[in-house]
Amino acid sequence: MTVGLTHYLALAAALFLVGMAGVLIRRNSLIMFMSIEIMLSAANIVFAAYARLHGDLAGHVFVLMVFAVAAAEAAIGLAILVEIYRLRRSVNVDDLNTLME
Amino acid sequence: METFLFYLFGTLMLGAAAMTVASRSAVAAAVWLVFSFVCAAGVFALLAAPFLAILQILIYAGAIMVLFLFVIMMLQGPVLPAEVAGRSFGRKALLALPAAAIAVILISWAARGREAAFGAAPVTGTAAAVAELLLNRYLLAFELISIVLLVAIVGAMALGRKQEEQP
Repeated sequence: MTVGLTHYLALAAALFLVGMAGVLIRRNSLIMFMSIEIMLSAANIVFAAYARLHGDLAGHVFVLMVFAVAAAEAAIGLAILVEIYRLRRSVNVDDLNTLME
Repeated sequence: METFLFYLFGTLMLGAAAMTVASRSAVAAAVWLVFSFVCAAGVFALLAAPFLAILQILIYAGAIMVLFLFVIMMLQGPVLPAEVAGRSFGRKALLALPAAAIAVILISWAARGREAAFGAAPVTGTAAAVAELLLNRYLLAFELISIVLLVAIVGAMALGRKQEEQP
């Protein structure tokens, strides 16, 4: 059986689910960030797969955009994380409940 | 051959991503994530996107993960009280298994009988071909994304600088 669009979509869906499970299950905010990167990566595979299907390179251009957004997100997110760590001495999201009380 | 490579890279990528999520230590998770991104570069290469494959390794596996590792080193120096062992983590992971099984069944059910095959001749996404599109049709998006990056740089610097004492 030759590999077609469906295979890539299934791979991307499974990856996205793994990333989503990571965000939902883990309480270490660093690993939650990494799970978000996994989900963005899944979206990239869908972009590339449809670019391959339609023979249109616009999908590749938007993968580049996702790369840039991921880089910006990592930079800002990690800066915020470092700042939170300075204040609270913790990266566990369960400890960040000031607004809940 | 393509089928074999797809299953090889796909399985390794999924497994590495799962290990990222399941790792207790953040450093191990980061290394697994690098492995997962390298496999993603292989998937891009299979999708006739060599430029993306190279950028995936340069940007994701290189730059972004180095940033992650630096932050992990900074934070882990004192203590990174990882989730206390046990603390219902295992039970939650166990709950995730049936959920994943149901998801896989649903996906394969939705995809049954719809094997969209790719066209015979792929349009290869070389650097020249992608740049042609990026700097003509998507020039506005290209300029806007540079503004996003600029804002990210300024924001990261503003967040990271040492706080002055309030007078």
